[in-house]
Amino acid sequence: MILPLSYNWRNLFVRKLSTGLTFIVVAVIVLVLAVLLSFAAGIRASLVATGSPLNLIVLKPGATAESTSILQPEEIARVVQTPGVARQADGALMISSEVAVQSAIPRLGQRDRPANVAIRGVDVLAYAVHDNVRLVEGRWPDAGKMEVAVGRAAQKRFAGLRLNESIALGRLGNRDYTVVGVFEADGGALESEVWGPRPQIQDSFERDVVSSVVVRLGGPADVEPAVAYIRSAAVQLDAKPETEYYRELTAKTTEIVMLTSVLIGIMAVGAAFAVANTMYAAVDGRRREIAMLRTIGFSRGAVVLSFVIESVLICTLACVFGLTASVGFNGMRQDFLSDTTWTVLAYELRLTPGIVAWAFALSVVVGVAGAAAPALRAARLRVIDALRKA
Amino acid sequence: MSGADIELKDVRKAYYKDRLEIPVLDGLDLAIRSGEFVVLMGPSGSGKSTLLHLVGGLDSPTGGSVRVGEARLENMNERELTAWRSRHVGFIFQMYHLVPVLTAAQNVELPLLLYRMSSGERRQRVTTALDVVGLSDRMHHRPNQLSGGQEQRVAIARAIVTDPDVILADEPTGDLDARTSEEILNLMNLLNSEFKKTILMVTHDPKAAQHGERIVHLDKGVLHREELTAARAGARA
Ligand SMILES: Nc1ncnc2c1ncn2[C@@H]1O[C@H](COP(=O)(O)OP(=O)(O)O)[C@@H](O)[C@H]1O
Ligand SMILES: [Mg+2]
Repeated sequence: MILPLSYNWRNLFVRKLSTGLTFIVVAVIVLVLAVLLSFAAGIRASLVATGSPLNLIVLKPGATAESTSILQPEEIARVVQTPGVARQADGALMISSEVAVQSAIPRLGQRDRPANVAIRGVDVLAYAVHDNVRLVEGRWPDAGKMEVAVGRAAQKRFAGLRLNESIALGRLGNRDYTVVGVFEADGGALESEVWGPRPQIQDSFERDVVSSVVVRLGGPADVEPAVAYIRSAAVQLDAKPETEYYRELTAKTTEIVMLTSVLIGIMAVGAAFAVANTMYAAVDGRRREIAMLRTIGFSRGAVVLSFVIESVLICTLACVFGLTASVGFNGMRQDFLSDTTWTVLAYELRLTPGIVAWAFALSVVVGVAGAAAPALRAARLRVIDALRKA
Repeated sequence: MSGADIELKDVRKAYYKDRLEIPVLDGLDLAIRSGEFVVLMGPSGSGKSTLLHLVGGLDSPTGGSVRVGEARLENMNERELTAWRSRHVGFIFQMYHLVPVLTAAQNVELPLLLYRMSSGERRQRVTTALDVVGLSDRMHHRPNQLSGGQEQRVAIARAIVTDPDVILADEPTGDLDARTSEEILNLMNLLNSEFKKTILMVTHDPKAAQHGERIVHLDKGVLHREELTAARAGARA
């Protein structure tokens, strides 16, 4: 009971300009949708993978991130009293004082566009405290030397971070450090960082204070009492599990997804109008043809279906086109300037099957919505009037 | 293969414009025998197309009855009429009404898409229909690659491919030159004599009208005169 698909296919080429413009509109929307959602998926993947639930990040109360937190030596001394802190084999408490700063480093292939990269000054203890951080090449920097280890993501994204290369860091960007190691952190945010010995980093950046303290706890049961203790009058600092800290940073991506949805929603409405416009032109241009089809026995439903199919055909083809274009962005290394830390997070865009499904769903919805009114006009067409000459 | 008879009794049809009644057919009676070739003539605007649309189930009368074969059209709803048309009527128009993006064969195939039929049988029927109108060699041409006469022949093939009982033709030669018209009209005669189709054809052209067996004249809403042609006497094959 339905008209052959080839009929719709060939009709797409009758009104090339109108169909072409609609095609482009839908393809661009799909491209924007796919890229923005891949972007969010990439950021989320890199942040979610970060941190250990047994590590507490201790910050100054009110600080939104490490980079805006300053801890005085006497405050750190109070943290040492926290119950449940894990110890190393030699009995040392697993408490890592860290300084978080940032330095402008050129992006690979875009020397004129430097990015704010997170630099972390750590003591040797940090390599044990951050249990998901693993050295994969070279060695950790020696205490007291002008050496750094770089995260895998940072190395892929920024210039001058290969092993044995020299990189200028510091407040004035004039202190040369040698890259001696590369580390991974399960794809997490720490992989976007550059780590060096704390005293050297503090000196180069003229910071004599610590930004944060990372406390490793013995077990899950220790988390709650430890957080309570640090937040209490005894210490008066803020503490939260690392996983939670980074999850809060991912709240940003939820915002991106929501903004994307609103943006895509508005664009989709526009696209539906573009589709409707094209389909109205198609219906009006084929009045006699529709009348003839109805005369020889095609039902109103068959005519409606045919126009809806034609519209969905345009939209899904445009979707394939838009997605194909977006694959060009897939795996692209991007960096994301966090507005809480003011440092960049390097991550890869991820085109997930879910995003592909959303893109197709959106295209079909736009196609059907855009075809609805024109197809109805086609169905309402008065056959005998349309058959008459003129 | 065989045609159906047509019987119109006291048919009335009026259009309404700004709540004003415009009577077009006003108590019209017409009987056409199965296998007869009847020509309908009349001044422009006299309601010839309207009458054809009523017989073809494209429109319903305001009053009276329209019977085609077994079907009482005045009692059928739109859905029933649509299904009935696809089985029993072949339409031929002055404007051909071919689908420009489809080939001749695909245009002819269209009515068969409404039938439960294997694609092989469909192809067979299309080939046969195009053979009858002498266009086998133009199967894969698009309408814009065909002359007006060829387009009308494709339209005729489309009208007969379902093997309908009745063929309704509304000024089928109105847009064609004399020589091409003659070819089309001979084809109509063939459908009538060879395939026993009942034909009702509207024309302005007195020469074209001579191809039918009987001419009925429509004026002021009724048939007021009818004449038998030479063809009735068997002078024409
Ligand atoms: N939809 C309509 N509304 C109002 N009047 C109509 C409509 N269709 C046809 N008519 C009128 O009915 C009359 C008969 O039209 P038609 O059957 O097309 O005549 P013919 O085919 O003999 O030229 C004309 O006067 C025409 O103006
Ligand atoms: Mg007419």
